Amino acid sequence: MIFAALSEFLDGTLPPRNCRELQKHLSGCDPCLQYLETLKKTIRACQLYQAAPAPPPSTAVREAFIKALSTRPVRRARLRKVG
Amino acid sequence: MSQRNPTRVQQALEWLQSGEPSSVERAITILQQTVFALGMKVCGNPADAEDTAQETLVRLARSLKNFPNTRVLSVWLYKVAKSQCLMSRRKSKFAPEHMLSLDQLMPQPGHDGDSDAKSWAMTPEEALLQREFRERLEKAIHALPKRYRLILVLRDMEQLDTREVAEVMDISEDTVKMRLHRARVFVRNEVAKYLAHAARQ
Repeated sequence: MIFAALSEFLDGTLPPRNCRELQKHLSGCDPCLQYLETLKKTIRACQLYQAAPAPPPSTAVREAFIKALSTRPVRRARLRKVG
Repeated sequence: MSQRNPTRVQQALEWLQSGEPSSVERAITILQQTVFALGMKVCGNPADAEDTAQETLVRLARSLKNFPNTRVLSVWLYKVAKSQCLMSRRKSKFAPEHMLSLDQLMPQPGHDGDSDAKSWAMTPEEALLQREFRERLEKAIHALPKRYRLILVLRDMEQLDTREVAEVMDISEDTVKMRLHRARVFVRNEVAKYLAHAARQ
C-alpha cells in the first residue's frame, strides 16, 4: 500500500524493492507526489518546532535535583548552591 | 545539523557521572532543560512539565550508578519522563484514547492536489515564524491520542531513533513506524485544513 509507506520512504528506511515501486508510482501520480511533499514539510516543521524556547522551569526543580544528587549514597558530587 | 537530543543527554549523563563540579553544573542545566521541554511538548502546560522534570531528575540522581552505560541510562531517563508525563495530568488534555485509522486519514478520491500546492507554498521555516501556524501545529499535536503523540514527540522532535523510541515505549519497532506514520499524517491533515482556510481568506 503506497500511502502506508510514505513515512518510511521519507525516513530512508523503506526496503529498496518497495522504494522502487513507490518511486515508479510517484512519477506518474501528481496528487501522491503533492501529498508526499506536504508530509515532508510537516515533519520538518515538527523537527524545527523542538528548537522553540520553552519557558524555564522554576529553581525548585534544579534545587530538588541538586539535593538528590548531593544526598545519593555513592560518590557525592561537590555542588555549589544555586539560586 | 544540530546534535540529537539523546546524544546531548548522553553527554550530560557522562558529565554528571564524572563528579567534576563544572561538568556537573553543565549537565544539570542540559538535563533540566531537556526533560522540562519534553514535558511541555507532551503535557502542554508548565505545571505538569515542571512536575515531570522534578520527579524524573530526582529519580535519575538516585539511579545514576545503576546502569552499564549512558545510552541505556538515556533510554531509561526518557522512559521515566514519559511515565511521569502520563501520570502528572493535572491540566493535560489528552485526546480520547482511540486508534487512528489509515483509511480515515487517507486523502479521499477527488482530493485536490493543486489547491494544496498553493496553500503549502511557504517553507516550514517561514511558516513557523507565524504565530497562527505554530498554534495550529501545537493544537494538532495535542489533539493526537497519547500513544501517537508520544511517538511523534520522541521521534520527530526529540530525534530519538526508531529503536530508542521502541525501547522507551515498550513496543516493537514496526509498531513505532506504524503509529509514527499515522501521527504525522494526522498532523499534516490538520495543518492542511488550516492552510487551505488561510489561503481562502
